[in-house]
Amino acid sequence: MATLRPTLRALPKSRPLLLPRHPQRAHSTVSANELSHFSALASSWWDPQGPSRVLHLMNPLRHEFIESCLLQGTPPATSTDPTEKGTGTANTLKYLDIGCGGGIFAESLARTINPTSSAATHTRAASITALDPSPTLIQIARDHARTDPIVAEHLRSGTFSYKNCTLEDHVASFSSSQSLSTSSPSSPTSATPLNTVTPQYDIVTLFEVIEHIDNTSPTSNPTTFLTDCLRLVRPGGWLIGSTIARSLTSYLINQVIAEAPWPVGVVPRGTHDWAKFVNPDELEGWVQEALMRGADRGVTVRGGASALGEGMRWCVNGVVYFPGVGWKMVGGSESWGNYFWAVRKGF
Amino acid sequence: MRPLARSLIRPYVCPSCRSGRLPVRRQFASDAQVTPEIYDVVCVGGGPAGLGLLAALRASPATSKLKVALIETQDLQKARAWNLDSQHFSNRVSSLTPSSVSFLQKIGAWDHVDQDRAQQYQEMQVWDGETGSRISFDWSMETSPFEDLRTVATMTENSNLVRALLSRISASGDENISIFSNTTVSSIENGADLPDGPDLSAWPILSLSPTGTAPSQGPSRIAARLLVGADGINSPVRRFADISTDGWDYNRNGVVATLSLAEQDPVPFPLGTKTAYQRFLPSLGGPVALLPLPNNHATLVWSTTAENAAYLKSLSPKSFIAMVNAAFRLGMPDLKYMMAMERPTSSDVDDQHESELSWRLQHTPPSSPQPPLVTGVQEGSVAAFPLRFRHASTYVSPRVALVGDAAHVIHPLAGQGLNLGMGDVASLARTLDYAVTHGMDVGDILTLERYAAERYTTNAKIGGACDMLHKLYNVPGQGPIAWGRSLGLEVIERLPFVKGLLMRQAEG
Repeated sequence: MATLRPTLRALPKSRPLLLPRHPQRAHSTVSANELSHFSALASSWWDPQGPSRVLHLMNPLRHEFIESCLLQGTPPATSTDPTEKGTGTANTLKYLDIGCGGGIFAESLARTINPTSSAATHTRAASITALDPSPTLIQIARDHARTDPIVAEHLRSGTFSYKNCTLEDHVASFSSSQSLSTSSPSSPTSATPLNTVTPQYDIVTLFEVIEHIDNTSPTSNPTTFLTDCLRLVRPGGWLIGSTIARSLTSYLINQVIAEAPWPVGVVPRGTHDWAKFVNPDELEGWVQEALMRGADRGVTVRGGASALGEGMRWCVNGVVYFPGVGWKMVGGSESWGNYFWAVRKGF
Repeated sequence: MRPLARSLIRPYVCPSCRSGRLPVRRQFASDAQVTPEIYDVVCVGGGPAGLGLLAALRASPATSKLKVALIETQDLQKARAWNLDSQHFSNRVSSLTPSSVSFLQKIGAWDHVDQDRAQQYQEMQVWDGETGSRISFDWSMETSPFEDLRTVATMTENSNLVRALLSRISASGDENISIFSNTTVSSIENGADLPDGPDLSAWPILSLSPTGTAPSQGPSRIAARLLVGADGINSPVRRFADISTDGWDYNRNGVVATLSLAEQDPVPFPLGTKTAYQRFLPSLGGPVALLPLPNNHATLVWSTTAENAAYLKSLSPKSFIAMVNAAFRLGMPDLKYMMAMERPTSSDVDDQHESELSWRLQHTPPSSPQPPLVTGVQEGSVAAFPLRFRHASTYVSPRVALVGDAAHVIHPLAGQGLNLGMGDVASLARTLDYAVTHGMDVGDILTLERYAAERYTTNAKIGGACDMLHKLYNVPGQGPIAWGRSLGLEVIERLPFVKGLLMRQAEG
């Protein structure tokens, strides 16, 4: 029994060296070595027997966890987009995958998009946008997507798109050019008007990302990162992710066993930094703070928990890797190993 | 950058096809840049396994949206129209375990099986012709008198099953499904990376051609997200995927025939209880089995040496019947003698085997299991087929899965061959259903390895057990091995819970 941490997704991060077309910003949320570590793994990203195998095996459970969230509620149909309401399809949800890496989750989600079906699919997906700051990984993801005609067709039609940019860039693309919103968390009300940072997505996913966020800087830390993520979530929508708790078990398994030399280890050395692992209660605190910061940016500034609005929800579900069997959802295991988490944004 | 999957794919064209098919390949090279018609699942082989897979995929809401194709060399129209009167039975009959039947019920195919031609049996008598030790599989011991008798297995003609599966598939509509009957696969190659389209370089592309004079129907080149080999022991799909297979020939033949039986005496209790009989004949190379069919008929499966099989096939109906009756009653030396008797040269000495049997029976103490006397053999139903053991080194490879005889062929002594195929198909259909509802690519090795993990060990265990029984019951005489095996059977017979366990295993 183990709480193996699979290899991870590269994190939103801008580096002038790697991303010449993006200006470097002081508030970028990850360190350079995270990005270079995952870019180095790129060539084996889709090798089912390679270093990302454990991550591939976890992917189906992400679908199950998303399905369980959707059962609890989905955003009301968009009034701004009447064309979608008229089609009679139940599959209207717009997804954003942050830190998509080589596209393991994004591609699997794109495969569930079926524009011709009126019956609800398990993800109810209408479109997905996937971001990653590593140009190498985005190229891997695009190349692999071409090997599946269905996914390739979604890429061609635009219902599926890969963007080689950071979360901050993506947020900025919705903002007016002068307001680089997350740059000054110390003055959170410095006002990006709500209508310029319109939430765009029903579901935002953050799989194996949060534990790679730089947590040392006062201006770029998991809370600022989560604030940006949540601002992209439509009211009633979900921010869904997975990460690892910082426990003795996870230390032994992820740092000592999983990164041991072959044949014991299953993930490359340097994949994880145990100190950056996040416990569910810490994460819940950050999410609450991020929700309040996000709410503070709105036109109606309210205080305290009421700012989170009606219908806000927090879910966690532990998941355990059993060698030879695979990943299994194990309730209660979230406090000592891998877990899925989700927050539903209030109305 | 080169997509990784390409390096994982092994060549799909076997060396012999490469050399033999050169002109054909050149012809295809010209349209290599044309996108072939793309299917999610392409199944080669329209036998019970291939059709079972298709019917299962059509029965589930998730997988019914997959675009599927079936390619079969034979004319499936004939299989759909198959019909026999109630006194005649095909000699290709299978014993379906309750788990196979419940799978067929689940996919809605069992309703299409002509139940008047299927025969359940509740009891199984197995004994050793050398030592006389016996084991009877009798469910009535295990169930309360108020319950229905539990069924050991259901005898069904393969043609009845195939026809049922075809009509189940037809009932699912014609959306997303193409059936290429009278069609052979002339080659399988990897596709091309189309600059303006998808990269199919790791996808199997099949070239189809009509068999004989049948007019071509549908496209001649199709691409398979998942190529399923349900194409039998010499599986072309397995060769194309470069999957090796291991095994041996038993140097035995299975002699089959459709027989009619005398009325059973005494009348079985409860009424309608049917029994299957199997007697191991170590000196003759294998067991003889009599399995019930409706209307007092039975099907024979006699595993014996190739010489004995040829001898049995050459006998007149009367002599053949005498030999079958002898096989269930006489001792080994008597049987060996009768198997070596001069074949009657003219019809006036046709009852030679019969008289020999009746004379020898007077000097043989009656054995306890008494199968009903065989009174007739259906004309043209005596046939023999070679017995083999085969097991593929793996059932899956990227975008390829093997099911049924393409993956494994086992000794028929436990009647498990078709049931293993049904188990494969049920498992593969379940795997594909999981894949579709979890955003997985149905042809991806990460999907397929779930199927292989579920089936490989199970099939190896059952195939191995049958092989072991075959070898154990081929040691003639009264030596230690014969004592050992009779001890084994007697112990099992005396410990009801062990027997119950074994029977549940046999049930699948």
